[in-house]
Amino acid sequence: MSGLSGIGVKVESGTERPAEVFGNALPLLHEIRHALARLVEAGEPTVIDVQSIPMGPGDMQRLLDALGEGEVRAEIEALGKTVIRESRYSGVWIVEHMSGSGGVAGRFVEITWVPSLLQAQREDVEAGLEALVDALASAGN
Amino acid sequence: MNEGLYLEGMSLLDFARGPALRWAVIIFVIGIVWRLTALLLASRKQLEPTKGSATSGGIKTLLTRSAPAHELEKNIVFQHYSGYAWHIGMFVVLLFFAPHMLFFKDILGFGWPTLPNLFITFFSVVTVGILLVLLARRLMNPVLRQISTLDDYISWLIAFLPFLTGLMAFTHITFGMRYETVLALHFLSVCLLLVWFPFGKLMHAIFIWPSRYKVGAAFARRGVRA
Amino acid sequence: MAASKTVGDVLRAHGVSRRGFMKFCAATASMMALPPSMVSAVAAAIEKARRPSVIWLPFQECTGCTESLTRSHTPTVEGLIFDAISLDYHHTLQAAAGQRAEDAMHQAMEENYGNYLLLVDGSIPTEEYESHSCTNGHSHLSMLKEAAAGAAAIVSVGTCAAYGGIPKANPNPTKARGVQDLITDKAIINVPGCPPVPTVITGVLAHYLTFGTIPELDPLGRPMAFFGQNIHDRCYRRPFYERGQFAETFDDEGAKKGYCLYKLGCKGPVTYNACATLKWNEGTSWPVQSGHGCLGCSEPDFWDKGSFYRPLSAAYWGDAKTVGIGAAAGAAAGLAAAALARGKQKKAQQEEKA
Repeated sequence: MSGLSGIGVKVESGTERPAEVFGNALPLLHEIRHALARLVEAGEPTVIDVQSIPMGPGDMQRLLDALGEGEVRAEIEALGKTVIRESRYSGVWIVEHMSGSGGVAGRFVEITWVPSLLQAQREDVEAGLEALVDALASAGN
Repeated sequence: MNEGLYLEGMSLLDFARGPALRWAVIIFVIGIVWRLTALLLASRKQLEPTKGSATSGGIKTLLTRSAPAHELEKNIVFQHYSGYAWHIGMFVVLLFFAPHMLFFKDILGFGWPTLPNLFITFFSVVTVGILLVLLARRLMNPVLRQISTLDDYISWLIAFLPFLTGLMAFTHITFGMRYETVLALHFLSVCLLLVWFPFGKLMHAIFIWPSRYKVGAAFARRGVRA
Repeated sequence: MAASKTVGDVLRAHGVSRRGFMKFCAATASMMALPPSMVSAVAAAIEKARRPSVIWLPFQECTGCTESLTRSHTPTVEGLIFDAISLDYHHTLQAAAGQRAEDAMHQAMEENYGNYLLLVDGSIPTEEYESHSCTNGHSHLSMLKEAAAGAAAIVSVGTCAAYGGIPKANPNPTKARGVQDLITDKAIINVPGCPPVPTVITGVLAHYLTFGTIPELDPLGRPMAFFGQNIHDRCYRRPFYERGQFAETFDDEGAKKGYCLYKLGCKGPVTYNACATLKWNEGTSWPVQSGHGCLGCSEPDFWDKGSFYRPLSAAYWGDAKTVGIGAAAGAAAGLAAAALARGKQKKAQQEEKA
């Protein structure tokens, strides 16, 4: 066991390492810019699966910092928690599906008027109508 | 002799960078030492009177033969410069591409700084271009066509293949083959080069040195320009 | 055994709203490396997909693959995949044990004959070592053959099941083989890795669930969606490789700055897996990001490819002794050739004099 004590130990506090730019944040921001332009000109929405893109350490944070926070923040409880926030650029939404242990299972950037998940879904609305009709009927009109 | 390579799971790549390379190196070493020894021991009785220093003439000629004789310059200018260009390109790629350097470091025990891949790609492409032009010239020029032997063409091909397979592997332009197959072909092309080297035109890389010296020494002894 | 329900039915029975279902489909599409534009197609397919029966047979394995799977991502999404498929037999995960569990497995196999998905992890010992890996008195080779007969498709989870893995490494004391060496008449999907990236396992299952087909496979039988790219081409440290900036040892300045690990033996260029993009532990990190070169664990026989720390281009050229012997042999041949030449020379000179 004597060899173990010879191994140097360096304790790093949680301070930031000097940023080595890995480069995926910037191209993604450009892609978002193009998508936003398409939304304005043609009304065409875009969804980007950012979790599936290879990111170096810090890249994702850089992207999220660049997008920032906007006026809207919504939490959805359906099959676990999902957080939808508008970025500082209106029309650019960040959709984060949370995993049970607090991490992020899926992250999408949606460039659209309203993210599809935020809207009420037709099947749910129809089911809701039935449920309301039943509830009123049993309450005696 | 077989550290790390297990015959049962051997793929083409394992074979190429394992047994194939080992045997190629053995043949290469045997061949080089054999031919070099035979050349160095070849002799000729010196019958003429000595008119100048043999050794200094020999050493001088090692350098002077790097440039063409003044009288022949104009005739061979294209061959001369393109030859230098592709040889330089070859050495840059061979020695300063990081994975190649690591190959040699494993053999020699020491390494050296390398160049970014962009430079290597540039030099490889230029070298391949020149090689192709020189082949075309050899085929189209009537004089060259007449004096060219099988050795000339085989040596060209054997020098060309590592570049072709190397570029294919590096760029992943594999014409439908798997990357590992192309990488194996790259290793195999080097094995082929090692095996052919001692017995063909490629041996000039080693022969020119004793050859230039001997000719220079012999001419200097006679008091003529080499 | 509830295999006739559609997945849509199952989810609704779990009280999953349409919104929840769409979220599930988005996560599933992402897991299958499909673009977001395909989510509605995925939703339509999953809605109608029949709930397949799955039998998981662990063989000569370390349980790492099962561990990897149970650690995977979201209990919600991944758990849903497993609720959506009926995992009829997994002797590590299931609560039942003993003969009744075996009986349940056989019943599932009979009821779904020709339609169940067979998942295998661990290699299979063969020939005189067949008995070295058994469950309930049955050798794993016999279990594999019996289960494979009625399977719609087989998924070999982990490098051991796919290619033999660590048991097959030199000298292969149990004559272990991968599934594809033993079963040749069924569709086999190899999901190698030591262990496989958990999201990849569920992604493959999600594909089967959604489309009912085998995903497109590469020459080694691995789904192209996850194994179609090599690590080197997706590595975030690639720019350093291109610029020629390498870590020379594990604790030097280059290593601290996150330079390329090629010189430290990274097998990224010849390894195909999704680690560089999907990463491990819910996208936390992966070996290269943590500073260690790729081991190539999703490739066949990766244990026998030489040291993990030897650079890929450092080939096996022999050793100094062999070169020395070669040089000596060459010298001998050269001497003989020179002697012959001189002999000829002398003869010619004598003839000339005469």
